[in-house]
Order: sequence, then C-alpha cells, then structure tokens
Amino acid sequence: MTSKRALEAAGMLAVAGALYFAPSFLERGTLNDLWSVALAVVLASSWNLLGGFAGQVSIGYSAFLGIGAYTTVLLALQGTPPVLTLPLGALLAAGFSVIIGYPTFRLRGPYFTIATIGVGEAVRVVASSLSFAGGASGLRMPAGSYDFESNFRSMTLLAVALVWIALAISRSAFGSALSAVRQDIDAAEALGVNSTRLKVTVHALSAALVGLAGGLFAINFQYVSPGSVFDFRLSLTIVLMPIVGGVGTVAGPVLGAILFGWLQLKLLSIPALLSSSLFIYGALLIAVMLFEPKGLLGLVRRLWARRLRRFYIDA
Amino acid sequence: MPEPIVSVRALTVRFGGLVAVKAVSFDVAPREIFGVIGPNGAGKTTLFSCLAGAQRPTSGSIHLRGESLDGLAVWAVAHRGLVRTHQIVRPFREMTVADNVAIGARFGRGRRRGADEKGRVRDILARTGLGARAGSLAGTLTLGELKRLEIARALATEPDVLCLDEIMGGLNPAEINAAMVLVRELRDQGLTILLIEHHVHAVVGVSDRILVLNFGERIAEGRPEEVLRDPAVVAAYFGDAPEEAAL
Amino acid sequence: MQQALDVVVNSFLAAGLYATMAYGLAVIYGVMRIINLAHAGIMMLGAYTTFTLFTHFSIDPFLSIVVVVPLFFAGGVALYRTVVRRLPRSGSTPSMESLLLLFGVWLVLQNLAYVLWSGDTQSILTSYTLKSVSLLGVRVGVPSLGVFGMSALSLLVLEFVLHRTYLGKAIRAVTQNRDAALLSGVDADRISAVAFGVGTAFAGLAGTLLSTLFAFTPDFGRSFLLKAFCIIVLGGLESVTGVAAGAFVLALLENVTAAYTAVPTSLQDALSFTLLVVTLVVLPQGLPGLSRLAHVRRRG
Repeated sequence: MTSKRALEAAGMLAVAGALYFAPSFLERGTLNDLWSVALAVVLASSWNLLGGFAGQVSIGYSAFLGIGAYTTVLLALQGTPPVLTLPLGALLAAGFSVIIGYPTFRLRGPYFTIATIGVGEAVRVVASSLSFAGGASGLRMPAGSYDFESNFRSMTLLAVALVWIALAISRSAFGSALSAVRQDIDAAEALGVNSTRLKVTVHALSAALVGLAGGLFAINFQYVSPGSVFDFRLSLTIVLMPIVGGVGTVAGPVLGAILFGWLQLKLLSIPALLSSSLFIYGALLIAVMLFEPKGLLGLVRRLWARRLRRFYIDA
Repeated sequence: MPEPIVSVRALTVRFGGLVAVKAVSFDVAPREIFGVIGPNGAGKTTLFSCLAGAQRPTSGSIHLRGESLDGLAVWAVAHRGLVRTHQIVRPFREMTVADNVAIGARFGRGRRRGADEKGRVRDILARTGLGARAGSLAGTLTLGELKRLEIARALATEPDVLCLDEIMGGLNPAEINAAMVLVRELRDQGLTILLIEHHVHAVVGVSDRILVLNFGERIAEGRPEEVLRDPAVVAAYFGDAPEEAAL
Repeated sequence: MQQALDVVVNSFLAAGLYATMAYGLAVIYGVMRIINLAHAGIMMLGAYTTFTLFTHFSIDPFLSIVVVVPLFFAGGVALYRTVVRRLPRSGSTPSMESLLLLFGVWLVLQNLAYVLWSGDTQSILTSYTLKSVSLLGVRVGVPSLGVFGMSALSLLVLEFVLHRTYLGKAIRAVTQNRDAALLSGVDADRISAVAFGVGTAFAGLAGTLLSTLFAFTPDFGRSFLLKAFCIIVLGGLESVTGVAAGAFVLALLENVTAAYTAVPTSLQDALSFTLLVVTLVVLPQGLPGLSRLAHVRRRG
C-alpha cells in the first residue's frame, strides 16, 4: 500500500519534472498540443470532483472558466500582474459557485442538471450584454502580457496537481462522504453528513481550479469573448470528457481528457472530421450510456478481468 | 415517569387529502424500549420520518431532551443524538462494510478521527456481529447482514435515541432472536430505543411500552400485555368484531 | 391602458406556442420519467424540415404541419424503439443515464443539421411574414396569429385524444399514477413508444411554428427547451390546461418586463432561466413536488 503510494508520488514528480523542462527540448507545436491536453485534464478532473465523486452533474462549468478568464483580462488591462489576477479569478469563480450552489443544490439529480443549464445560459447572456466586459465582441489582453514558457509550465503543473488533488480526496474522509452522498444522499444525511455544505465546498474547490485554468486560458489566447469561454459547447465537452473516460474515478477523467485532446487535434487537421465533431461526441455519449456507464476505464477493467480469467482457466 | 427524553405533542402530517398522522402525542423515558405497532398505512414510518427530521410535520411539536427539533435538517437531528434506520435498507453498496460504518463515526455526533475512529468502527462491527465482513463490499451482504449494517451505521453516530424501523422484517426466527438480544443490550448500554415492528410477538417480547397507531391515530398506549387486550387494538388487527376474532 | 392590452394579447398569443412546445416535454416526462434533452434538437429539426419543404417544394409553412407531425411521430417511435428503450427503466425520478443519453441524441441531431443545411442562419419569408392585422386595437403579426391558431387547434385535438381514446386514457393514467397504471396491466412499452412519438411530434410542430417567427441555426432550440422546462415546472404535468396555464404565466412575465421595465431585450432570456431556477428551487422536489403542492391547495 505505502509502496504503491510512493510509486505514485514518484511518477507524478517525474511527469511534473519532465513537463517543467519540456520547453527546452520540445518543439513549439508539440508544446501547444500538450498545453491543450493539460487544459482538458484540468477541466475534466475539476468537474469530476463534483460530478463524479459527489454525483452532481453540472452542465454549466464554462461559467467558471469564463469568470477566471474575464477577471484576468479586465485586471490585466488595469496593469495588474498575473500573479494576482489568477488567484483572484479563482476566488471569484469559487464565490460565484457558492452563490449558485446554495439554491441549486436543494435540487436533486436531473433537476439540478437542468438548473445548471439555466445558470450557464443566464451567465452567457449577461456577459454578452456587459459593456465594460466588451459585450459580445469580447476583450483583448494588453500587449506584451504573454510569456509562453511560464504559461505552459503553469497549465501543465496545474494538471499534475489536479491528479494529485483528486487522488488525495478520493482517499480522504471528505472523499468518502462525497461518495456516500452520490450513492444515497438520504442515508448519508441520516448519518450526520451535511450534504449541502459538502456539495457547496467541493463545488467551490472545483470552480476555483477551473477559474485558475480560465486565467491561464485568457493569457494563452490573449483574447476572451462570451463565445470563447461561456460557450455551451465548452460546458458540454467538460461533461463529456470524464463521462467517456470513467466518471467518479481519478484516472477516468484524465483518460477522457487525453482522448478528447487528441480527438480535437485530429478534428482540427481533418476538415471532414471537424464537421462531424458533434456527431462523434453525441455517439460516444450514447454508446457509454447504453453499453458502459463506467466509461473507457470501466471497459478496460472489464476486458482486463476477462483476460486474467481466461489466463487462469486455460492454465 | 422521569423527565422524558423524547416528547411528541399533537403531531399531524397531511399528504394532500390524506392524514398520515393525526394529533399523536407521547413521551419516551430515557433507557426505555418503546414499540410502535399498527396495521399497514397506520403512519408508523411517517412518524419516524418526522422524528428524524426527514419529514416536516404539518403541525405539532417534537422535543429531544427538552429542545425543539422543529425545522432541523436530518443531519442536524443526528448531531443532537437521534438517528433512525431505514425499513428498506440503504447501504452505500460500493463501499466496504467498515467504510459504511466509518461515515457514521466521522460525520455523526462523535466526529471521530484517525485511530479513535478505527477503534470505534471495529468495536461496533464486533457488537453487531459484522466483524468478519468488515472488508466486504456492502453490496454483497445478505438481507440479515444488511439490517445489522443499518443498525451499526446508526450506532456509529453515537446517538442517545435510536429509531429502528422494521429491523426484523424478512429475518428468520434465529435472526429475530439475535436482533431482540441486541436491542436489549443497546438499552443496557444506555440508549433509548424506539421500535417499529410488524412482528407483534417480537415487539411485545422486547418493549417496555407500546404505542398502537391505526389510520394515523393513537388508539392505545401502555404496557404490552395491557395494550394487546385493548378492544380497539384487537378490532384494528382482526376486524371490527372482536368476539368473532376470538373464535 | 392600451399598453396593458398589448401585453395581455401578446402574452396570450405567445402562450399558445409555449404550451405546444412544453407539452411535448411533459408527455414524455409524465409517462417515462425521462427529461428529453433532445427536445431542443427535435424543435430545430422541425424548423429545418419546414424550411426545406418551403424552399424546395413551395409548401406553405403552416401547411407543412401535415407532413411534419406524422413524420416526427414516426421518428419519435423509431428513436424510442432503437435507443431509448434500451435504457434501464427510470424509477419515480428520472435517471441521469436517460438525461445524458438524450443529450447525446441532441448532439447527433445538431450535427445532422450542420451537414444537411450548414451552420448559416436561415429564416422563412412568406408573403404574409411581415403583414399584421388589428386585434382589439392591438397590431398583431399574421404569423403570430397563425401560430396561435395552430397551437390552439393542436391542443384541442390532443385534449380530445387524451380523453376519448384508449391510448390517450392510458397515457393520462400512467402520468397520474404510474405504479397503479402499470400494475393494472397497461402495456408500458407500447404506451412509452406512443408517448415518445407524441412528444416528438409536438416538438416538431413547435419547431415548424417557431420557424415562421424566428431565424434559426443548428444551435437553435436551447433557450426554448429551458422555457418549456420552466413551463412544466410551473404548470404541472397532469393536464393540458395546467401546461397552458404555465405557458401563460411565463409569456406574461416576459411581456410585462419587456413593456414596463428597463430590462434590455438582450437580457430577456436570462429572465426565464432565472425564473426556471427560482421555481425549481422554491419547489425543491421538482415536478412531482409541484403536483403534490397543488393537491394540498385544492383539498386543504
């Protein structure tokens, strides 16, 4: 057990180290791809803290990315350095998550999900009409605010940190309470678990992490608009990655994010595929729901178990 | 009667046109085993839901050690020392038996941590006869074991008052006897126990006093042997003509 | 005074369309306890079907209903038989799997529309699109009147079907008391297929009607889905009248804020989403909670 954890820690440190030095030996194109995959891992794993561990499926996560991104752009235009804008964006995203969390967490299951679609849409509509935020056309970052290497390192390290956070939570008392809430919220409450506070807390944590990624997103693309960060399709992808990979596990969302990151790159390079991206996403979702609700990770585990069985029976 | 630990006054619950519980009042003394019986649909489970805070009563009051439970959430009631088990067992199936119990130990009134929590969980598993199953997934237990797991989890929250909803339903005679022994042991350790049971023989055997509900109303209350002789109770259980039932 | 009349007449007209839109969602939820997220995609497809019939075959949008309704009914039944039926049956509350599955169907439908009609904004321009008439002294667009007429007609037909035919009665029975109806021998699979067909046909019809009033893209329908959801939360599931009442409340709220407050039109949609969230939260048990509350008021 402890040796397994030491191995995990060593693995994560090795990956973090490799990513830290990657800018000095990898090409810019490869680094950009890695950045995209890291963003996907951050989004998928953050969503999974609430949607997977606690079982509260939200289709409104683009709101947090958007809040983080807009905070960074608006403050950067006033001359504030990223060291301050990034945490502030995370804090605002967490604050917003608490404000919408208290009322919406009174809803259960699909009703909560529907409400989050409503919240997400409302945020997008409002953001498009705020003149100080550039309205529908969005805002550009001030010139000279871009340092690729530090942005790359921040995003990839954030991704590694998220895997560590997810692992730590899944093994903690907090994590087992989340799991209890997902499995049977009434039974959990009967045992003294304050489910609302628990959900609000994990929602705030995951919103903060997504908000942090939003700030890095704004710096990387140097431009933010309601269409780029408050897009429904973005909310959708955030939900799809962990579900396709294996919802409620640590490795599943990472697997899903890598798959989607790779798919995204493929889709961008092949025009015929780009026009069928929604079809692919939809078909994946249908297939997972009908055949393997535990996602790719569940499929891999099942096949692996079958192989082992065959091995022992044949032997 | 000494100062009651649970005190219910004029409790009424309506669901639309249906009155599930109608102006029910009773007191339970500390370290008492208090049975609640009645035919199907008598309002027993609704009464327990109100006690545990899962159902808001239409009117009336519930006090625990003199403190009103009005408006408290289920978890808050549990933190004040009153927990219930569910008639239809609700284990966390994807967790081990020990982890199921640990949820109660960590988040219940005791708020145990670390070694303290582990010791507490081990102790409760032993008392409820689940020690050998500690590492099994709850989804793999038999019904009898699941019923004991319900009790074990509730005990882990360190309650003063334990409301047991049909813990003997579906069990075989040997298991029922074991459950009765457990209930008495728990009382001897200082708990107050409220018990809903279909199995009249078991309730009579274990309870100090019994409350009989029918169509949401209290029709009798008292010592088991008195209550069972009460004509109203006989009528509720065997039909309107007690003399025929006696034949 | 004139402004008040404007608001009432416009709300009334909009309510007809909203009710048609919401009923499709309500019937599926009522019978199967499934929240049909693909509803938005089906409305969008209805709009495009009408568009194609209009541009290629010069069929009037209102006349296209004769094609759209049976076509979408068949499509709905087919969707149920091929995909939806394979889901584990929902209990008394809808399952997450069904929600996400139909979310997937919505995405597939959107992609289909992109392929068939491209992502460009389309609209239908007929000889009467911009004409208006005077109704009680209020200027009302001819398409709005047509939409209201068609909605009212469809809801009347529906009311008749629900009360006079076996299938209709079975649908009502399952909606009002699922367990009892299923226990008493209603063929759940057949009723579900019919309900899914009816729900899809109503979504298609709503799409056709929407296409005479609004421009659309493959992304079209999301805000209307949320409105439809809001309406059934407000009005309950059990009757066509309830849905119509919910639709009127929403339409009235929208028209009142547009006429009397300074809320800019760009924020109008945010209003109904906020209303949705607020209603959901005030009635925390969702739709069944609402009908229970209604009972209390009626009998208590």
